[in-house]
Amino acid sequence: MGPDLPMRLLLVEDDLPIQRFVARALLEAGYQVDAAADAKSAEALALEGVHDALIVDLALPDRDGLDLIARCRAQGSSAPVLILSARRSVDERVKGLEHGGDDYLTKPFAVAELLARLRNLLRRSSAPQTESVRLEAADLQLDLVRREARRGDHVLQLTPQEFSLLEYLCRNAGRVVTRTMILDHVWRMRFDPGTNVVDVHIYRLRSKVDRGDCRPLIHTIRGVGYVLKEA
Amino acid sequence: MRRTAAWRIALWTTLAFSLGTFVAFFIVYLMVAQEVRARSDAWLTGEAETLAQVAHNTPRDSLYDQIVEEVAELAMREVPDERSSGGERLNSVFFLRVDPTPGGNNLFVGPGSKGPFWRALQQAPLVAGVPQSVRVEGWPLAFRVVVLAQERGSTIYLGLSEGGVTHILQKLTRRFLGVWTGTVLFGFLISYLSARRTLLRVERITETVARIGSQELDERLPEQLNSDEISRLAKTFNHMLGRIQASVNQLRSVTDAVAHDLKSPVTSIRGTLEAALSAESSEPWRDAVGQAIEGLDRVSVLLNTTLDVAEAQAGALHLDRVTVDLSEVVTQLVDLYQPAMAEKHHEVRTDLESAVVVDADLGFINRTLSNLLENELVHLPDGCQINIRLRAHEGNAELVVEDNGPGFPPDISSHAFERFVKGKQSPGYGLGLAFVAAVAQAHGGAVKISDRSCGGARVTLSLPISALQPA
Repeated sequence: MGPDLPMRLLLVEDDLPIQRFVARALLEAGYQVDAAADAKSAEALALEGVHDALIVDLALPDRDGLDLIARCRAQGSSAPVLILSARRSVDERVKGLEHGGDDYLTKPFAVAELLARLRNLLRRSSAPQTESVRLEAADLQLDLVRREARRGDHVLQLTPQEFSLLEYLCRNAGRVVTRTMILDHVWRMRFDPGTNVVDVHIYRLRSKVDRGDCRPLIHTIRGVGYVLKEA
Repeated sequence: MRRTAAWRIALWTTLAFSLGTFVAFFIVYLMVAQEVRARSDAWLTGEAETLAQVAHNTPRDSLYDQIVEEVAELAMREVPDERSSGGERLNSVFFLRVDPTPGGNNLFVGPGSKGPFWRALQQAPLVAGVPQSVRVEGWPLAFRVVVLAQERGSTIYLGLSEGGVTHILQKLTRRFLGVWTGTVLFGFLISYLSARRTLLRVERITETVARIGSQELDERLPEQLNSDEISRLAKTFNHMLGRIQASVNQLRSVTDAVAHDLKSPVTSIRGTLEAALSAESSEPWRDAVGQAIEGLDRVSVLLNTTLDVAEAQAGALHLDRVTVDLSEVVTQLVDLYQPAMAEKHHEVRTDLESAVVVDADLGFINRTLSNLLENELVHLPDGCQINIRLRAHEGNAELVVEDNGPGFPPDISSHAFERFVKGKQSPGYGLGLAFVAAVAQAHGGAVKISDRSCGGARVTLSLPISALQPA
């Protein structure tokens, strides 16, 4: 995906306030957005075949979101779908879709997570990228083969878990990651813990990465999550 | 097999059947025995009379004894039911004529010598013309003896060993026992097979209902066209399942509606607030907005948990079961919570049996176990010790989380699993243990709390171990 060729998305959401803020967030992230509030108009738009991905709410006024996806698929659309659901547990029909390359998100969701999952979907649907063995962000360097992290010339003494956490932050350098995203990627759990368990891991990592008079790299954004960037 | 109802039914049926047939045989046996004896006695009496006649009519010359003896021997060959086995005469007959007159001689025809017979006859209280049993020394079986007095003071005794009668009755008994044993075994087999066949249908119903209970409610029992008791049972179950399904569906649609209606505004408010934060600025309101978002997140967690508990308590919780290795899950969660525990100077010790596998919804199990750890994190004063043990015990995976803190407040320990019950000091909503209990119940397990004898709280969660153990 080059910056000269913006991705075009179809957002299907009947709740207009949600539609508005999601559309705005997508536009700010550099996507082109078409929006629809019901399945019928959404189907008409989707069949134009110009969208790189669909974001579909499951509870649409005229039809079930899954029906819409099935109909689009039946008519040859192959764009990946990010499903939004207000249900607490995601039923297995949705999980079945996930195996087909699609993904889901339960409401309420963080915009940061929506964007992250969307990026993932678009990356999966385009050519697979070559896995790099090194990650770099500012003066931070991660050797993914030797599982070694350096800040400048200094080797960081990290536990395997702290390394995974730092790797995840590094891969998303400059972008906000939420606590649930961290839990999902580092611990493979998808729930929202009530306490500060994730924060404690971040504090510990930060005490090792941003030691002494280094410029701080790991920043907290209250209410949203964390971001690794040069301030 | 011994514990199956089919086995018990067959056993009791067979017992009753064998007792009944045995009593019936016994009555038949008595009747047959009586009849055989009567026939034998009738022969004896008749023969004795014939002999008496002969003895009476024969002139008392030198041939008298010879004639009487020959007639007696002839009579003996006509013994009814005579059977020879291996040349041995079963029916021994003796004839004795006693003539007390001077010069009269006694005549004895029979096996062995006269002595023992005579002694036995003298002691026996015999009545003329009525056959009676007399035991004779040296003979294992008694003799039926009929005595007839003759005109000139002489007496005729005719005796027939009971061997023939006994033989018939023994043969009858043997044949009956053979047939009776066969019938009883056959009857047992038939009643066991038919009971089993019937009860297998019940078993199938049980299996199906158990499967339906633990999974989806849209399955139904096969109904047969005939309307015997078991078909009616299946129909009743199906009817009941229909009603349960209807109320579960209703509850799910209500909870889905509540979730949808409450989450939509929360989602848009949260999104709007988050958008405000994304702008690069250091405005003083950023912190307030962050707090508002965190508040909204707590609201959605609370809403989710409340609805989950409501559904689980109504048996309507949808579980997406997979094979879960609890040892791995616990290890992972302890890993996640370890730094937060260390921050409060808690020491966490684990003693986990490996490969304790359950069929469970991984998401719910993660949340349940994290709830238990959250409880420790939130309620314990600094510097406690927490023990986490996992073992397979009597078909259950048993997870114990215990600490050496102050224990459960006495006023809540009896109803700690109800929703919104919490200690006065507790900062939570009182949903944690209610959620743990509801998830355990939905998985067919249980949770119990207790205070340790040495002080501190203990929570024991048990879940049924997966039937399919990984190789």
